[in-house]
Amino acid sequence: MGFKQFEGADEEFNLEQMEAETEQMLRLRYINKDNAVFARTAGGFVSLDLNESIAPEHYDRIRVVRSFPFTDRDKYISIRTIDEKSKEIGMIKDLSTDVTPETRQMLEEQMDIRYFTPVIKKINSIKDEYGHAYFDVETDQGPCKFVIYMNSSSVVNLSDVRLLISDLDGNRFEIPDYTKLSARELKMLDLFL
Amino acid sequence: MPGKDVVVGKKKKAGEASVRPKEKIPASIRSVLEPYFPNGDMDEKVLICTETDMNDKLEFTLGYLVLCKERILVLVSEPVPGEVHFFKGRETLASKAQTVRREWTVKEYSLTDMKEMKIERTVGGGFLMLVHKNPDDEEADGKAEVIASFSNHRIGQTTRVERLCEKIVENEEIEEDEDEKEEEFCPICGMMYPDEDRKICPRCMNKKSILFRTLGYLKPYRGRIALLMLCIFVYSGLNIIWPYLNGKVLYDKVLAKDDAFIESFGIPGGKYVLALGILVLTMLGTKILMQMFGIFQGVITAKIVPDLVRTLKTDVFSSMGKLSISFFTSKQTGSLMTRVMSDADEVTGFFIDGLPYFLVNIFTIVSMAVVMFMLNPVLAVAALVFMPIAFLISWKMLPRLWHRYGRRHRATRSLNSKVNDNLQGARVVKAFGQEESEVGRFDKSNEKVRSADMAVLNYDNKFSALYSMAENFASLTVYVIGAFLILKAHTISLGVLITFTGYVSQLTGPMDFMSFFFRWYTNCMNSAQRMFEIIDAIPEIQEKPDALKLDHIDGTVEMKNVTFGYEKHKPVLKNVSLTVKSGEMLGIVGRSGAGKTTIVNLISRLYDPQEGQVLLDGHDVRDLSFETLRGYVAMVSQETYMFMGTVAENIAYARKDATREEIIRAAVLASAHDFICRMPDGYDTMIGSSGRELSGGERQRISIARAILANPKILILDEATAAVDTETEQAIQQSINLLIKGRTTISIAHRLSTLRDANTLVVIDEGKVAEQGTHEELIAKKGVYYKLKELQTKALALKGIE
Repeated sequence: MGFKQFEGADEEFNLEQMEAETEQMLRLRYINKDNAVFARTAGGFVSLDLNESIAPEHYDRIRVVRSFPFTDRDKYISIRTIDEKSKEIGMIKDLSTDVTPETRQMLEEQMDIRYFTPVIKKINSIKDEYGHAYFDVETDQGPCKFVIYMNSSSVVNLSDVRLLISDLDGNRFEIPDYTKLSARELKMLDLFL
Repeated sequence: MPGKDVVVGKKKKAGEASVRPKEKIPASIRSVLEPYFPNGDMDEKVLICTETDMNDKLEFTLGYLVLCKERILVLVSEPVPGEVHFFKGRETLASKAQTVRREWTVKEYSLTDMKEMKIERTVGGGFLMLVHKNPDDEEADGKAEVIASFSNHRIGQTTRVERLCEKIVENEEIEEDEDEKEEEFCPICGMMYPDEDRKICPRCMNKKSILFRTLGYLKPYRGRIALLMLCIFVYSGLNIIWPYLNGKVLYDKVLAKDDAFIESFGIPGGKYVLALGILVLTMLGTKILMQMFGIFQGVITAKIVPDLVRTLKTDVFSSMGKLSISFFTSKQTGSLMTRVMSDADEVTGFFIDGLPYFLVNIFTIVSMAVVMFMLNPVLAVAALVFMPIAFLISWKMLPRLWHRYGRRHRATRSLNSKVNDNLQGARVVKAFGQEESEVGRFDKSNEKVRSADMAVLNYDNKFSALYSMAENFASLTVYVIGAFLILKAHTISLGVLITFTGYVSQLTGPMDFMSFFFRWYTNCMNSAQRMFEIIDAIPEIQEKPDALKLDHIDGTVEMKNVTFGYEKHKPVLKNVSLTVKSGEMLGIVGRSGAGKTTIVNLISRLYDPQEGQVLLDGHDVRDLSFETLRGYVAMVSQETYMFMGTVAENIAYARKDATREEIIRAAVLASAHDFICRMPDGYDTMIGSSGRELSGGERQRISIARAILANPKILILDEATAAVDTETEQAIQQSINLLIKGRTTISIAHRLSTLRDANTLVVIDEGKVAEQGTHEELIAKKGVYYKLKELQTKALALKGIE
């Protein structure tokens, strides 16, 4: 487990070790099927064994983070420790080529949890009520009703056609291509475009 | 837990709204739970029952966490296809009460080997993780399993489970969860408030009350407004007379040589030229009168508007000042602030330009219709029948036109900010040679403005074309029917027809206005509502009505078991306790983001802790008056803000009555005197946003001088020397050493050398006090502090600096 950063009480101060740590921090380490083995754990997480030339590393649990969650979902996947500091263990350059399909599946499951975002399929109504907008939509996760603040960054353009909508609690909803919505839906959405 | 009830109690008071009836365990799941409580002691055993909204496949569905002391029951229902999932602000009492038959899955987890219950947050929610302990088996120790998933909507409730579990692990006494904050619902529509602290339902907010409240601001101008209305009515009355003179009187009476009519005005019959002359003069007089009243109206408006705008703005600004710092840092209100000033204009504009004209237009339309019907009902119908159509067209088209205007506005704004961005970043642009690409970026925005502009023009054209078509149809119909009536039926005269066409063309104005008016009205109400939101906002940090005023304080500062987070569910400080004795210096060390600044924010009461107390001389800071608190506590931080004004004014910011000698003395102590005197305008140099640029060190010294002059009993130094070079730091450090004499000082610093003189040092790590003691004690302990110290000295030594 990676909880040992500040247990220095009985541990002599070691400048060399610290410098090695810093150096490691500044290094971009790539992970691929040759040097890493990912495995599912009983608790529903993923563990990692890293066969580094100096010393093998083992992580009971890892965190999987996208570097470009909006623009490049499958590349530059950062594998990090799960403690609050969340240090990078290594990076997978390309999920489609650098790891086995099983590993990819495993990691994608983890990322699906992390980046869970219902996709809006249909807009039933949007009502603008005094600083708030009341949404009634159909998503791939079923019908949802939520409220957003107006006049703020609740609706973000991720690209020319893609929208990310955040509700009062920061729950996210995505419209992958708003130009594909019907004229009626567009009219309701027009306030935010 | 002392003090815990204070915060919650305060907020609960205000509620006149419907609170969901408090039931610990919802009736709908009692039967599901019964088998798990064979002794029938469900209500006694269950500590808390909270809702979740996802299953382990990340599908939205209702679930519950039922926490008992030794176990947790996790209920998840089978997703009901097509069931609407409600998020914050959308739930209603009705949707809550809904009883769908659900298939429940119950999982039971023992908590006897619980090491920790932890929420792991994801982007849109989180999951609850049970971490097991197993001291005998290192492999199994710390094994975690996910027991529940939820969206951000349920994170607050789940945090309560997490917190209670923490108490179970620590073996602390568990009382009824008093922190429990019920979701509150609007009593009218039954929908949940978007913000539980502000009991305003945006859907049911009384729009009338906003209107009347805004009208209240007009009260002082009653007389003038009456005059204004009079002018407008006279103007529109004359407006109705004009077509009548121009048509009926001119053609049917004077030109038709109607002796009876002429004589009725005392003009001898047959003197038609004289009559014509008088008519022309009357018409001229009417026009002149209309112009005059128009001018009057303009003058009165000009007298009321700026006054009203000023009153509104002052009201908003003074309310802003009272608000807590969190109001300014929260995102959605940040944008609110910037809009407020333009909102005042919007509201005033509506009340001065919109409302009177609305009344006038109603008056005009009705009276014209009456006159027209009196003249000829058939023609009146022909003239008026197109009006609803024109009205409908504008009513339908205006919103879209409005949207296009909005888009153009946003495009222009983004173009402006791009230009602004470029000007501010000119150094970087030039340094990286990106002038070309910046032109490209500008062009992209520019193109957006162009296309938005085109869209507006296109639609505007369509709109005017359609609108004038409706108008033309109306005139045409009136002409055709009128001509028919004159030529065939002989029921009307030419004058009547001309009067009618005059009315038709005059009616379009009011109709146009009316279709526009409603949109204007909603917009204005929106603006007014935003203003009132600020005027009415209840500051989170409030002075108690019977707040203590202390004439003298010793300056002992104490924090007792303080837990605090800027966002409720993300504690930044966890159970922090520390004490600084009067006149002593406390140094706070820790990695950035550890919570150091948060501690001083709580001491100066920019925020209130969620749990625990901050004490000043043994008094809870929440009981002290702001005057006492702000008078005795001063802060010098990294953030040195210079207000617009002279150097002297900036130094005397906290003590306006300071004499010149005092100001100079403070500047000397802050080693600012020399550089101030070197400036051509000395202490009268204008600084701040429009004035002379000062360097980081100079600003820092002025802010120290400000603190020296304020002469606080408690001084907070938050990285006061972080932004300056070593030499300047030395100088400033000396000033600080002078400053801290005889005061209680709390100093935050990265550079440990700055804290050499501290009586006590506190190391904050991840929101907790990791170590506490004197420099020597901490070195001897060889802990975090020792490590930091070694790191700093060795790193410096390596470079041959120390």
